[in-house]
Amino acid sequence: MSGTRIPGETRGAAITVIVDGAPVPAFAGETLATAMIAADRTAFRHDTRRVARGLFCNMGSCSECLVTRVADGRRIRACLTEAADGLEVRTDG
Amino acid sequence: MKRVDVAIVGGGLVGCATAWRLSTAGASVELIEAADINAGASGQNAGSLHFQIERRFLENGDALAEQASSIVALSRIAVEDWRGLETALNADLHVSMAGGLMVAETADHVALLERKATREQREGLKVRTIDGDAARAIAPYLSASVLAANHSADEGHADPRTVTPALAAAARAAGATIRTHSAVHAIGRRAGGGFTIAGNGFSLHADQVLIAAGAWTAALCTLANLHMPLYPVALLMNATERTAPMVPHLVQHVGRRLSLKQTHAGNLLIGGGWPSRLAQLPGGGFDLSRRATMIPDSLSGNLRAAIDVVPAISRLNLIRSWTGVTAISADQLPIVGQVPRMPGLWIAAGGSAFTLGPTFARLVASAMAGGPSEALDIVSPARFEHLNGFMG
Repeated sequence: MSGTRIPGETRGAAITVIVDGAPVPAFAGETLATAMIAADRTAFRHDTRRVARGLFCNMGSCSECLVTRVADGRRIRACLTEAADGLEVRTDG
Repeated sequence: MKRVDVAIVGGGLVGCATAWRLSTAGASVELIEAADINAGASGQNAGSLHFQIERRFLENGDALAEQASSIVALSRIAVEDWRGLETALNADLHVSMAGGLMVAETADHVALLERKATREQREGLKVRTIDGDAARAIAPYLSASVLAANHSADEGHADPRTVTPALAAAARAAGATIRTHSAVHAIGRRAGGGFTIAGNGFSLHADQVLIAAGAWTAALCTLANLHMPLYPVALLMNATERTAPMVPHLVQHVGRRLSLKQTHAGNLLIGGGWPSRLAQLPGGGFDLSRRATMIPDSLSGNLRAAIDVVPAISRLNLIRSWTGVTAISADQLPIVGQVPRMPGLWIAAGGSAFTLGPTFARLVASAMAGGPSEALDIVSPARFEHLNGFMG
């Protein structure tokens, strides 16, 4: 799965989140999951066999989009987390 | 008409394990399951191997606690059954028996722990009461609020999602027939002995019948014109996300509803007997065909208890909560054995049947073949024979 932003929509301010050390463009008001998918970063976490897993329900139920917030090591649902400038996450969990 | 030595109604842990034991011993067995193997409480429970006396037996006064303590005799046998199960099945069931701690957070509860340990030691179970610091030395993840714990070196957990399917596979390999999506509609006694079991598209003769259908057991017993005092109860289970190994033990609470453990994969499973709400039938009665609904206060209360005892859980995400239905008997003890007024009809239901299930199955299979059954006397349906004075 990959994502493309619909052209011509009014968006918030351009910001940057950091995923696995790389800058990923986002707009204020988007979720972290939106920014990741728009950048073709669809692997959010891994199962016990280290196979990549990705966003499924996009509404906070399935927990497939858990990523690790670098600031405190906590696991957060990317689909429920608003993108914030400088927010840094990892997908190696 | 097809004839078998034993028909088993219910494809849960006890039914599949009994089918395995009987088939291995050379009996012809047909197991009949209304839904899928492991679809009920056997697969919904949180997989505790609890050998200490359960908290639910302690909260209704000393008399009931004393009666329930007799279950410890079976728990002692179950320790050995679980130790041998993976080898016997040649399957990885994620059995972990790294010990269990039942904790207390108040002086009253510490006294309850001490009385409980006295009962358990009297019954020959290896349990000792240790203070909070000693508990934290064994289990550094425990909160400072833990004042004492009863430690049992044998307790632990296993994976409910793999145990019963492995038993069903072993039963099939030993020659048992397993029929799923087949509800039983009739259980009749045959003149001259034995039973006829029938449902949609099948009927068979069986010399003996075992009803091991969890919360559905009472309704199935009515097909044999018997009362069985088993009542459905709906419970709540929860799972956190996976995390690094931190809780090797089974953790329970003597004064609050809590059981928790960490699975092989790393998730923490949190339960302990918090109620869910059974679906009801319009004319009265409970509708076991519909899933029970979660009670929000149960969810928050269960997680609060877990975090109070293991504070690190507060950093974890809850990823799943689910409801499951089991059954309790009129006196809280399981009902396992032959119905005296109906020779050849056997029952195994009434809770505690993940921990005790392999033992129930082995003992029932042996007794069905004419072996000794004294170990099952304390859970025999004979104690409810007075309810069937006008039945049978």
